[in-house]
Amino acid sequence: MVDFDPSIINKVFETTDPVPVSREKIAKFCETISEANPIFTDDEAAKKGPYGGIIAPPGFATTFRNGRHFFQHIPRFGKQGFDAGKDVEFVAPIRPGDEITLSSSVKEIYDKTGRTGTMVFVVIRSTLRNQKGEVVAHVDHRFMSRT
Amino acid sequence: MKFADVQIGTAIGPEEIFISKDQTRQYAHANHLPAARFTDDELAKKEGLPGMILPGNMSLALLAKLVTDWIADNPAKMVRLGTTYRVPVQPDRTLILQGFITNTYPETKQCEVDIWMENEDAEKLVTGTATVEFSQ
Repeated sequence: MVDFDPSIINKVFETTDPVPVSREKIAKFCETISEANPIFTDDEAAKKGPYGGIIAPPGFATTFRNGRHFFQHIPRFGKQGFDAGKDVEFVAPIRPGDEITLSSSVKEIYDKTGRTGTMVFVVIRSTLRNQKGEVVAHVDHRFMSRT
Repeated sequence: MKFADVQIGTAIGPEEIFISKDQTRQYAHANHLPAARFTDDELAKKEGLPGMILPGNMSLALLAKLVTDWIADNPAKMVRLGTTYRVPVQPDRTLILQGFITNTYPETKQCEVDIWMENEDAEKLVTGTATVEFSQ
C-alpha cells in the first residue's frame, strides 16, 4: 500500500496565469501533427463549420502547463516518473482570443503490482477555464513511477 | 452520418502518418517541452530509450485527429478521450492510426470507439477510448 498524506487529494495548490490562445498558435499546433482540416485554420471554412469560427483541435487542450511551483507539492515515489496516459473531457471548444488558466490537484494515488514489480500512479487533474470562467476541459494526467 | 447510422464494429481508419524528427522537435518546442528525449537521439539513449520519442501529448493529438477526421462535418463532437502509452513512439517512422466502434448509447446519442496507434510491425504503441456525441 502506497504511503502518502491523504490531505493533498483534491487540494488546488496553484492556478496558472492566463495563457493567450492565438490563431497562429493553433496553426502551429496543426502543422506539427499534420492536421489539415480547415476548420482549425481557415476563417471562411470555419465560419461554415459547426462552431461558427476557428477552434483548436481537441489535442490542443493538453498543451497547457502547470505552474512552476505545482510539482513541489506532489509526492514522488521511486525513480524517474513516466507519462502513462491521459483522460480528457472536452467541455467546450478553445478558440483564438481565449485566455486559458489551469488549476490542478492530485485526483488520486494508487499502486499496482505486476510481474515487473510495483508501480505507483499519481493522477493529476487539471481543469482548464477560459477568460469567462467557463470550464473548457478536464485533463487527468497519469504519471507512473517504479518503486 | 447521424447517430442512427452508427454501427458497432464499424472500422475507423486506418490512417497512415509519417512523423519526422523535425516535426517532433517542433511540437516539443512549440509546447514548451524541454526534455531532451523529445529532441535528441543520443541524449534519449542515455535515458535508456531507443532514441528520441514523441511526447505523449503528441500521440494523444494524433489519435484525436483520427476521431475528428472520422467525425468530419457530421453533427457530432468528441466529448472524451483516454489514452494509455504502452510503448515509446519513435519518429521517422510510419504510424498507423485506427479503431472501431465498440458501443452505442441511444439515450445520449453517444458511441464509444476503441482507438490505437501501431507501428509497421503491428505493435500497439498507444491505445485509447473515445466517446463521440451526436446532435442528430
